Amino acid sequence: MAEPLPDFVSRRRPQWEELSKLLEAQRSGSLKLLDLYVLDRLYRRASSDLARAQAFYPGTDAHRFLNQLCSTAYGAIYQPPRDRLAGLKDFYLRGFPCALREETRFLAASTALFSLGLLVGAAVVLFEPHGAELLVPAPLREAVAAKQMWTDSLLSVMPPGVAASHILTNNLTVTIATFAFGAAFGLGTAWLLLSNGVHLGSVVALCAREGMGYSLLSFVAAHGPVELSVIVISGAAGLMVGHALIEPGERTRAAFVKERSIKAVKLVVGCAPFLALIGVIEGYVSPGDLFPTPLKIALGLALGGLFWAYLCFAGREGHLLSRRGSGPG
Amino acid sequence: MRGTGLQTDLALSTPERVSLALPVAGIGYRSIAYLVDVLLLLLVWTVAFFLYTLAGRDLLEDYEGMSGLWKALAIIGAFATQWLYWTASEVLWNGQTPGKRLLRIRVAREDGAPTGFFESAVRNLCRVVDFLPVAYATGLLTMLLTRQHRRLGDLLAGTLLVREEKIDLDKYTRSGAVEALPVPGAAAAGLPPLPPAEVELLLAFLSRRPTLAPEARRRLAFRMLEHFAQGLPDSERAALGSSLEAAEAFLHSRAQGG
Repeated sequence: MAEPLPDFVSRRRPQWEELSKLLEAQRSGSLKLLDLYVLDRLYRRASSDLARAQAFYPGTDAHRFLNQLCSTAYGAIYQPPRDRLAGLKDFYLRGFPCALREETRFLAASTALFSLGLLVGAAVVLFEPHGAELLVPAPLREAVAAKQMWTDSLLSVMPPGVAASHILTNNLTVTIATFAFGAAFGLGTAWLLLSNGVHLGSVVALCAREGMGYSLLSFVAAHGPVELSVIVISGAAGLMVGHALIEPGERTRAAFVKERSIKAVKLVVGCAPFLALIGVIEGYVSPGDLFPTPLKIALGLALGGLFWAYLCFAGREGHLLSRRGSGPG
Repeated sequence: MRGTGLQTDLALSTPERVSLALPVAGIGYRSIAYLVDVLLLLLVWTVAFFLYTLAGRDLLEDYEGMSGLWKALAIIGAFATQWLYWTASEVLWNGQTPGKRLLRIRVAREDGAPTGFFESAVRNLCRVVDFLPVAYATGLLTMLLTRQHRRLGDLLAGTLLVREEKIDLDKYTRSGAVEALPVPGAAAAGLPPLPPAEVELLLAFLSRRPTLAPEARRRLAFRMLEHFAQGLPDSERAALGSSLEAAEAFLHSRAQGG
C-alpha cells in the first residue's frame, strides 16, 4: 500500500517548490549553468512522482499539481530551437526564397488567377460599351473622363511619408487577407486574386481607351512589378492552405494543414519588408512628375528584376548568396 | 475531477515515459481574454487621447498640422496595435498576451511546446477570417465544433490554449488548530487507511471549513463522521459526536493517518 497522500506531499513538496523556482528563473532568463543539472534532476524526480501519483492518487489535487509542474518543465526543457536574430538573417538568406521555390505550382496557379482577372477586366471594358460603368468606381471614371491623373492629387492631399505609410498598411492588409482567406478552402484567396485582377485590368483598359495609358504607366511603373509580385506570392500562400484543406493525401487533414500553413506564412512574412520598401517608393517616387517616366520605368524594372533574382537564386546550393545552415522553425 | 482525464485535455507522453494531460481553455476563458486585450488597447488609445487633449490641444487639428514623420508613425502605430500586438506579445511573453496572462491561459503547440514565431503569426493573421462575418462568428463556431476549442487560426497553426491552474498544496501539510486537541489521534489508530479519493474529500472539507456557514459546517462534519468513524466502538463515536471540534479533529487525523 502506498504511503498516505499527506505524507507523500509533505515529503516531496520542498523539491517541487525548488523546481518551480528554477522554472521561473528559466522563464525570466536568469538561470545559471549549474542550475541546469539541478533542474534536470528535479524534473526527473517530479516525473517519477507524477507516475506515482497517477498510480496511487489519481484525480487528487496533488496529481493535478504534479501534472501541471511536469508539463511546465517539459515545455521548458524540450522546447524547439528559438528563432533569434541569427535565425532572421538565415530566413532571408535561405528560408524565404527556398520556401517559395518549392511552391512554384502554387505560384503559377496564383499568377494564372490574377492574370485571368486582368484579362477579364480589360476585355469587359474594351469590348462592352457599359463595361467601365460596371467595373470601375465612379470617382475614378470621372477623373479619367476629365483627363486627370487621380494619383496626382495624392501628394497635394498628404506628404509622401504619410502616403507611404497609408499605402504600406493598406498593402499589408491586402496581403494578409489574401493569405488568410485561403482558410476558406482557397476560395477566398481565389476570389481576392480574381477581383484584384479585374479591378486593375479594367482601370488599365479604361485609361488606355481614353488615351491616358502613359500617365497610368508613369504612376505604376516604379512600384508595380514588386507590388504585383507580392500579391501573387501571398495568393500562392493562401492557395497552399486551401489545397491542404481540400487534399491532404495520405496525411490527416489537421496535420497536413498545420504543416502547410506554417510554410505558407513564411511566404507572407518574407514579403513584409519588400512591401515596406515598395510603399516608400509608391509614396515618394510614383505620384506626380517629380521623377521622369523613363526613370520610373527603369527603377521599376530594376527593382522587379532584383526581387526575382533574389527569389530565384538566394540560398541555392553552390550559389554566391547561399549559406549553409538550417532554416528557422 | 477537474483538469485530468477529461476528453478535451491535451494528452502528451514525455521521453521520461510519463503521460501528461494539459487542461484546455474553453470558449469562455478565450473570449474573456480577448475582451481584456481589446479593452486594454482601447484604454491605451483613449488615455493617450485624453492626455493629449488635457494638454489643451485639438487632436484633429494637430493631426492636420503634424509633420509627415509623426503622421506616418501614427498610422503605423495603429496598424501595429491591430496586427502586431498579438504575435509580439505571444512570442516575447511565453505564449501569453496581457489578457491571457490575467486569465492564466497560454498558447501552446499541439506537442505541448511553447509557440514559435511562425505558429503565432499564422494564428494571429487568421483573426481576419475568424472574425467573419461579425464578432468572431467563424472563430466561435469552430471553437464549439472542435474538441479542444480551437478557432480556425489555431487549427491552421497547430496550436491551442491551455489553462494554468492555481493548486493549493497547503491543505495537505497545514496543521490546523484542530491538531492541538488531544482526543482523536488514538481513536483513529485502529482503523484501516483510507483510499486517496476519500482523503482528498476530507482535506477539501477541512480546508474549506472556515468559509462554510456554521450550520452547514456542522451538518457536513457529522455526516462525514458517521461514515469515517465506522468500525469504532459506540462509546467513542458518541464522544466524537458530542462536539464539532472533536469531530473535525478526528476527521483531520483520519486524513493524515491515511
